[in-house]
Formats: sequence, C-alpha cells, structure tokens
Amino acid sequence: MAPTTKSTGKNIEAETALQAVVLADSFNERFRPITLDMPRCLLPLCNTPLIEYTLECLAVAGVQEVYILCRAHSEKIKNYISTSKWNRSHSPFKIIPIVTPEARSIGDVLRELDAKQLISSDFILISGDVVSNIHLDKILDAHRTRKNIDKNLIMTMVVKEASPFHRTRSLGESSIFVLDGKTQECVHYESAELYPHKRNMIMDMEVFEKHSNVQIRNDFVDCQIDICSIEVLALFTENFDYQDIRKDFVYGILTSDLLGKTIYCHIVKDAYAARVRDLQTYDAISKDVLSRWTYPIVPDSNLQEGDSYEYMRGQIYKEQNVSLSRSCVLGEKVIIGSGTEIAENVKITNSVIGRRVNIGPNVKIDGAYIWDNVTINANCSISRSILANNVVLEENVIVNKGCLLSYNVIIGPKITLPSYTKLTRHKQNLDYDDYDTKDKEDKEINQLLHAQNIKLVKDNQKDDSYDIKLIGENGKGHIWNDETSDVEDDDEAKNIKVTTLAYDLSNLSFTDDESTASVISEGSSDEESDSDEPSNLEIFSKEVAQTVERAFSEGHTIEIASLELNTLRMASNTSFRDTRIVVIPSILNQINTDKLLASTKDVLTRWGPLIGKLVHSKDDQTDALFTLQKYCAKTDINSKIFAPSLRTLYEIDVIEEDAILEWYYDERSKGGVGKPEIYSKIHDVIAPFVKWLEEAEEENSEEDDE
Amino acid sequence: MTGPRDLNAQIESLVNRLRRRQVVGSWSVSLETALLLRQVVSVARWNQVNVLINLVKDVGGKLVMAQPRELAVGNIVRRVLRLIRDVYNSEVSNSNTNLTSTSEEVEDDDKDYEDDNMIKSPPQKSKTYDLQSYSGPGSIISSSFFSSSASMINLLGDGSVSGKEASLDYDRNLLNSFFFLHLKPTIISELQELINELENMYVNIADQAMEHIHSNEIIMTVGKSRTVEMFLKTAAKKRKFSIVVAETSPKYLGHEMALSLSQAGIDTTVISDSAIFAVMSRVNKVIMGTHAVLANGGLISVSGTQMVATAAKHHSTPVVVCTGLYKLSPLYPYDEDSFNDLVAPDPVMSFDEGELIDKVTILNPYYDYVSPELVSLFITNTGGHPPSYLYRLINENYDPEDTVI
Repeated sequence: MAPTTKSTGKNIEAETALQAVVLADSFNERFRPITLDMPRCLLPLCNTPLIEYTLECLAVAGVQEVYILCRAHSEKIKNYISTSKWNRSHSPFKIIPIVTPEARSIGDVLRELDAKQLISSDFILISGDVVSNIHLDKILDAHRTRKNIDKNLIMTMVVKEASPFHRTRSLGESSIFVLDGKTQECVHYESAELYPHKRNMIMDMEVFEKHSNVQIRNDFVDCQIDICSIEVLALFTENFDYQDIRKDFVYGILTSDLLGKTIYCHIVKDAYAARVRDLQTYDAISKDVLSRWTYPIVPDSNLQEGDSYEYMRGQIYKEQNVSLSRSCVLGEKVIIGSGTEIAENVKITNSVIGRRVNIGPNVKIDGAYIWDNVTINANCSISRSILANNVVLEENVIVNKGCLLSYNVIIGPKITLPSYTKLTRHKQNLDYDDYDTKDKEDKEINQLLHAQNIKLVKDNQKDDSYDIKLIGENGKGHIWNDETSDVEDDDEAKNIKVTTLAYDLSNLSFTDDESTASVISEGSSDEESDSDEPSNLEIFSKEVAQTVERAFSEGHTIEIASLELNTLRMASNTSFRDTRIVVIPSILNQINTDKLLASTKDVLTRWGPLIGKLVHSKDDQTDALFTLQKYCAKTDINSKIFAPSLRTLYEIDVIEEDAILEWYYDERSKGGVGKPEIYSKIHDVIAPFVKWLEEAEEENSEEDDE
Repeated sequence: MTGPRDLNAQIESLVNRLRRRQVVGSWSVSLETALLLRQVVSVARWNQVNVLINLVKDVGGKLVMAQPRELAVGNIVRRVLRLIRDVYNSEVSNSNTNLTSTSEEVEDDDKDYEDDNMIKSPPQKSKTYDLQSYSGPGSIISSSFFSSSASMINLLGDGSVSGKEASLDYDRNLLNSFFFLHLKPTIISELQELINELENMYVNIADQAMEHIHSNEIIMTVGKSRTVEMFLKTAAKKRKFSIVVAETSPKYLGHEMALSLSQAGIDTTVISDSAIFAVMSRVNKVIMGTHAVLANGGLISVSGTQMVATAAKHHSTPVVVCTGLYKLSPLYPYDEDSFNDLVAPDPVMSFDEGELIDKVTILNPYYDYVSPELVSLFITNTGGHPPSYLYRLINENYDPEDTVI
C-alpha cells in the first residue's frame, strides 16, 4: 500500500527530507543550433525528454525535494515542470524550479543556491541530462557510512567503468581519476581531452606517501552524479573563481593543502549511468536505451503518461496507432512513436522516429534521430543525422551523416546536404553585428578601393534570403557555423569537432587516396625551402593542397578545414608557415579573374578565416602578406587581386594594420627577386590604402591625446 | 477513513512504483494489489454493484498496464472481481430464498440465474419489470440486481410493480443503499480472506512437502523461489535428502538458493547449467518455482527452466512446480514472446567491453516459456493438481468476463 513507501523513505533519511539538485543548464553550446529553441534537458531521447530520465532516477532513489536550476529557456523548463506528472499530488517529490539568469557557470549557480539557504543536509547533485537506472539510495547509504569513517568527506562522485573509445564515453572530454585502491578515495583528478594528448600529469608526492595502493584510472565514464555534503556549496561560495565542478572544484579541493577535505568515487558495476554531454553521446545513449542497458528505463516500460510502447523482436519499439505499410522494412533498434505513418518500401534501421511523423515511399533512414511532426517525402535518404520537430524534407533529398536540422527547417526538393551541415531557422547573429559597427569604416575603405565596383555582400541582412543552392527551392533555413571566436586554440576546436554526431575517429588521421594532380604543387615547388627534407615537405604540400581543394569542392566549414590542416601539419611536423605557403595560393586560385573584385571579396570572406587560423602573431601576418604578394606577382592578372584581397583580409581581421604597415615599409616588399617591376607595382597600388591607414591611426592617437 | 483524493494518490503511487519496478516479485505485487483494491472497495462510493465492478476494473486496468509482464496483478484483480460477483450473487439468492411473496416471474428469473451462474440473462427479462430507468446493460449483474430490488420491494409489501414509477424509483434507491450497505462489509471481509490466503500461502504449500519428498531422494531445482525454498526446508525438518541446484546463469540465482538451503542444513550441490542434462539421470524429482502459470498449464519461469524441464522429460523425471494460486493466469500464450521480458544485457556481457557492445546485439531474456506437457504436477496452496486440471481452477477462480481487463 502507498503509505509504506513513505515510511521507508523516512527510514532512509530520518531527520530531514532527502534533497536533490538538478542542473538544467549545461553551460556549453554543443547542441547548438537546436538549443536556440529548446533547452537541452527538454530535448527528446528516444521520444522522452531528457530531464524525465533524471527525475525518474531521483524518484526511484526516494528523493523528496528536487530543485531544478535553470538559466537558458527557464520559462520553457518551468512550464514543462508545472504541467508534468511531477507536479501532481501523487508525485513522489516536491519539485521547485529556481531561475538563475545571471549565472555564467555551474559555480555561479551553486553559489546562488548557497545564498538561498535551501539545502539542509547531504544532497544529490545531478545534471539534468543524465540517463541512469542506478539506485542512488544505496550510493547515498554508502556515502553516509564512509562519512562516519572519514569526517572530512564532502563528496562522492559516481563513475562507471568503460573501456577507452567506448561509445558512451565522450571523446572530447574525459578524466583521469587517481584512487586509493582500498577505500576508493579520489586522491587526484585530472581532466583529459583528446587534444592535446596529455603526456604527463603532475601529482603530489604526498599522495604516494599517504596511500600505499594508488590506482590511476582512465577507464571511467563520469556520470555527473555527485552525492555532496552541504559544505560543498559553502566551498563554492568561498572560492568564487570555481567555475566547473570537476576541473575547478574537485581539482582545487584535492590539490589544496589547507582544506583537508576528501572526495571519494563510487564505481558503479551493475547499473547504467551516463550523461548526454554532446551529440556523440546522445547517439550512444539512445542506442544504449534501445538495446536495454538502461532497463527498467526502457521505452516499453511506458514511464511517461500516454506512452504505449510495445517491444517487438529485433529491438523494435512501436507505439499504438502506427501505420506501417506492407513493404516497409524495420531493421534493428528502431523506435516509432504513435501517429506515425510509414509508406511503401521504406527501410529504417538504428533510428528513432518521433510521433506523428510522415514518411513517404522509398525513403531510407539509417541511424537518424527524427523528432516529432517531421515530414519526409518520397525518395529521401537520411543517415546518422538529427531532424528536429517540424522539419520538412521535400522529395529526393539526401541528408548525409552528421547533419543537424533544427526546428522547422525545410529542405528540397532534390538536394544533397553535405556531411556535418547544421541548419536552423535562426540567423547567426555574430557576423552582421560586426558589419553594422563597421559600416562607416566600410564606406571609407570602399571609396579608396574602387568603391563603385565592390559591393558588400550582405545577404544575411535580408530576411528571407536563404541559400537556395544549398537547401533547395522551397528550402527554409540558415547555415549554422559553430562559433569558434571564443575558442582559443585549435585543440579545443578539435575537441568540439569530435563531439559532433557521427564523427569517425578515422577522419582525424585523414589520408586521401585520390591523388589528383595538384595545381598548387607548382606554386609550392617555387618556394625556396630551408627544410632538410624536401621530399617530406613536398608530400606535405601536396596533401595540404588536396585538403584545401576538397574543402572547396565539398564546402567544408572553416573549422573542419582547419582541423584537417592542423592534423596534417602535426602529422608531418611542419610549421604554420609551410601550411600558409600552400593554402594562401590555393585560396586565391579560387578567385574568378573575370569578375575580379566581387569574386575576391566572396572567396576571401568565405575562406579568409582559414588563413586567419594559420596566423597567430604580427610576424605571421607580415609573412602571410609576403606570400600573398609572391602569388600576386606571378602574373599581371594576379597582381590585380592583391589590393582587394588585402582589403578583405583586413576587414575580416585576419591581417591587422600594424602588419600591413610593417610589410609596406619592409624593403623586400618593394622589389622581389624575380620580377621587380610587378612587386613595386603591387607595392604602389597599396600606397593610398596605407596612407589612409596611417591617417586613421593618427586621428585615433590624436583623439586619444585629447 | 481516507478520502477519495487520497485513494487516487495511492493508486497513482502504486502504478508508478510498479512502472519503476520498486515493487518486484509476484507475491509482494499481489499483496500490494489486494491491499489497494480493499482500499478501493471500502473508500469508493457506490450503490450499484456494476459501478463497483467497473471501478475495480478501472483501477485494475491501470495497474495491469503499469506492469503488463507481472501477470499476478491481473490475476488478483480478476480474483477480486470474481469475489465481488460471488458475494453479490449469494446475497441476492439469500434474499430471494427468504422471499415469501415473490411474483412468479421473479422466481423464474432466479431459477434461470441459479441454474447457470455464467449465462447472461437476456435484457428483455429486466424489461419485463418495466424498469426503463435501469434498462442499461443486460449483463447478469444488472438483471439479477433488478430482480433483487424488485423482489425486495415485494418483500416489503410494495407490490405495485408497474404504475407509480417515480415514487417506486425513489423507494428502490433507498432500498438499494440499504442492500449495498450490507454488501460492503461482506466484500471487504472476503477480500481480507484473500489477503490472508496470500499471507499464508507459503506455509500452505510447504505443508504438503512431506507427501512429495521422501528420504534419500535427489532433487533438482533451478533459480531462486521463495515457495520452493520453504517447501524444501519444511521437508528437511523430517526427511534427509539431497538437492542439486542449477546455478541459473546469467543471474546466478541458483547460487543464492544453494546458500540459503545449505544454511538450513540441507545437503546441497551447485552445478553449472551445462551439467543439467548429465546430472538429470540421477535425479528423482525436479521441484521448481515459476513466475506465472498460463491457462494451458504452460509456465513463464526464469530462463534456464525450459532446459531443465526438457532434460527431465528425456529422463522421464517428474517435474513438480510449486506455485501459489495467485500466479495462475487465465491468459493463453498465443505469442510466447509477449510474456517475456528482456532485461539489461549487463550479466551476459560487461558494459565496459566498449568495442564489442557497439557491434553485437545482446539479448537477455529473463523468462523461459515451458510448455505444459513438460510439467507433471502443480502444487498450489489448494493442493496438488495436474496441468490438465488447471482449466477447472481457472473457472473456479476467475469470471470469463474478466479475462480481458
């Protein structure tokens, strides 16, 4: 009978109600652009919002009070919670959303929570996107027994063993735990990313003195479930610079000599727990749910109200009111929501199909996540991609792997989307914000540089201008490029890259078998090379050229292209300069000399940032200018490219004015070895621009003086 | 007494706990279901028996949907429904036998009804009483209800069956409430008996142990079953015999079973599942538990049972199944898969085998279906029955109308 549970719940926690804190914001943007419309914890995983898995896990643990901390889309989360079953009278716990709009990190959120004084005893800190069937009450008991032995214990981290490259492990971020072999006390923590490969780790000698048996473990999936003592919040408040709970807090506590607090790990053996950290783990966890690792949290348990899933042979889950045609083929690991209609000759494998989805004849779907109300017309083919709610694919659309189509995007007809395309109905704001502020400057530069011929391409300022070529005649949606402006180094970019959907590790050690005759190779062979092994450099140049060519032909994003270039560069142990020498001419080769100015502008706006990825200092920029000049000095036509390209590179901030000035006053720029007259000509063309730059600078400095 | 709102919360709470598998095991599930239904009967407001039946069906439906693989839930709901019907029918016939001035028509109806409990009396019969206001469903319940109310009206001397309908309706309602006021405690006490039956079930089954286990026998068992455990331990108090326990991978429930038995001082041997066939030739009897018994006598039982039963058949070793009556389900295994449950593949292959689990599909069915011809005898709390007799038990315990809840 019902009251029995309540009484057992009280036995577990006699004094106070058991509390849990759910972090409903991830403080990263791995799910962009989908998270522009919907917070991550409400995204569906196997047709159930992620937060339901977390709350379900807490309900099983006998939690009595749940605080949901939200930041972005807080209204949506609050609405969801208030209408959900958790807010009814028979809900196993009281659920209280707390909005912290100013918080910038998990640390901020916890500090705010501390300020509110809501937590009264040990609590469960869990991320809002954890899928787990762990019985947390047992871990909580273990935490308490440990606490009785070790008074300084403030936190127990729940981890699960998983071999490296396990699908449920996030490739981009993982961690190394150093444990005491006997007590499983965590004595050191080190976060490890795929890039850069961590080769060393500094540990205190004290660790070895204190503990006779130390294990260094790299085989844990961090479940992001912590049992925390109330001191944790206070410690966050004291150390106001702590942002991340692992990288800052755990690391900080363990390396601090003064605090003397201890943290333990709880290794989960026979239960499942994993966090949806990124698209790659989203994919993996969906598969885990469908292959029943999360039992009893599986679709056919029908944990949600209104769910009516039934299990069928071959790991197929079908809700009621699904109409399947006679000739459609459902392969393994498929889940289909109610109201879905599937037409003749459709093949579906390894996929999640939401509710009220309409799938036309002859469609092939493999490894795709199709959310609610999606329409897929005849002859489409989708592989390893996510289609959010209300996406429409017109006829004959092919969606290649790794694509992300956010809410309400329409594609087609007859379009092939390249791999890793991200589309959204939102426009990416960053670009034209910059345009607006620079407008004035633009005009001035325009006047200087054949103003009448250069028109600024401001497509994205017009409202309904979609890239018809990319998304088809009836298409609606904008390309979304991952923001990397705030990402400091390439390693981070790579780490983000590997977290995307359907990303193969093999892509990283990229080799190309098609050895197309490279146009750039002649350019690079002209180079005076001071390398001892010209053969190596030559191979490298060839490969770089091919990579760039491919980036052009397949329309890669800058991030992918630069990631590939960097991989190549590191593999052959060459410098950025060598890469630049090949990349700059190849980009300039893309310029259509008939419509010189417009096409220069186009090409460099698109690909200029790639050069930007390869220059890091003023010297680099100056050097890039010499390379540019060298290319332009080859023919007369090329020489005309120089001025507009310099201007574009200046506009997109790849080359700064200091570098231009330095280059300009460098003797070598005035006359090269081969064709001095062209060099000086190029040099002269740029003179008015330099003059303008200098004036502008003087003005600035004058203003400053005043 | 708790209010109806509280009752709803209790229902939802049990539904959710069933869904989350916070209550597991047929026995505890049955007990919780029975306790909840007792609560429903006592708290809910009803003045017609079909209202109560619909209510119980409604609640039962929710519970069954919450955990369709736990057949015991449905069984208990059906038992309760049957019980309500029985109590009602006996009350009605009691009141009818007390009648002195019954109209012939009513007598006829009652005879019909008593002759054949199960047959629905045609709706016209109720209409002969001119009870338009009640001429709803023509089920046995409603018709017998009409007859009863009519007869009770007669009993109280208000013989004018047709005519002043308005006042008659009023009287009837008043009488109904008297009648059902009396019905409620009877049903509740019957329910209490059912609960007691559940609570004493293990003992009742174990008491029969001496008839089935003899000295120096070698008995094989599989999996872990509380019923079998009690059965064997009771026998061990007086007789000396040895037990072979199959370890029952991948859950290795056999290990736990063996530990418990050996602690009770029984000579116990654990064998691996692959040795079952080899050892079977020396075994005198197989005694095992089950998760559920289906209408045809087939078992839904922990995986590995099918192997044991087949090996026993090959060696003509008798297979005895110890089970409470509440595990007997009137459902028929049209699709063996539908009663099975696939659980996490953890015990079959460890989750940290990252590369493998990505490429291999691992299924871990929790149950086996064992066909009835492999079973020799069922020992229930009401005695031993062969599989061919189960149809009779089903008829005794469940109403055919309730097979689908």
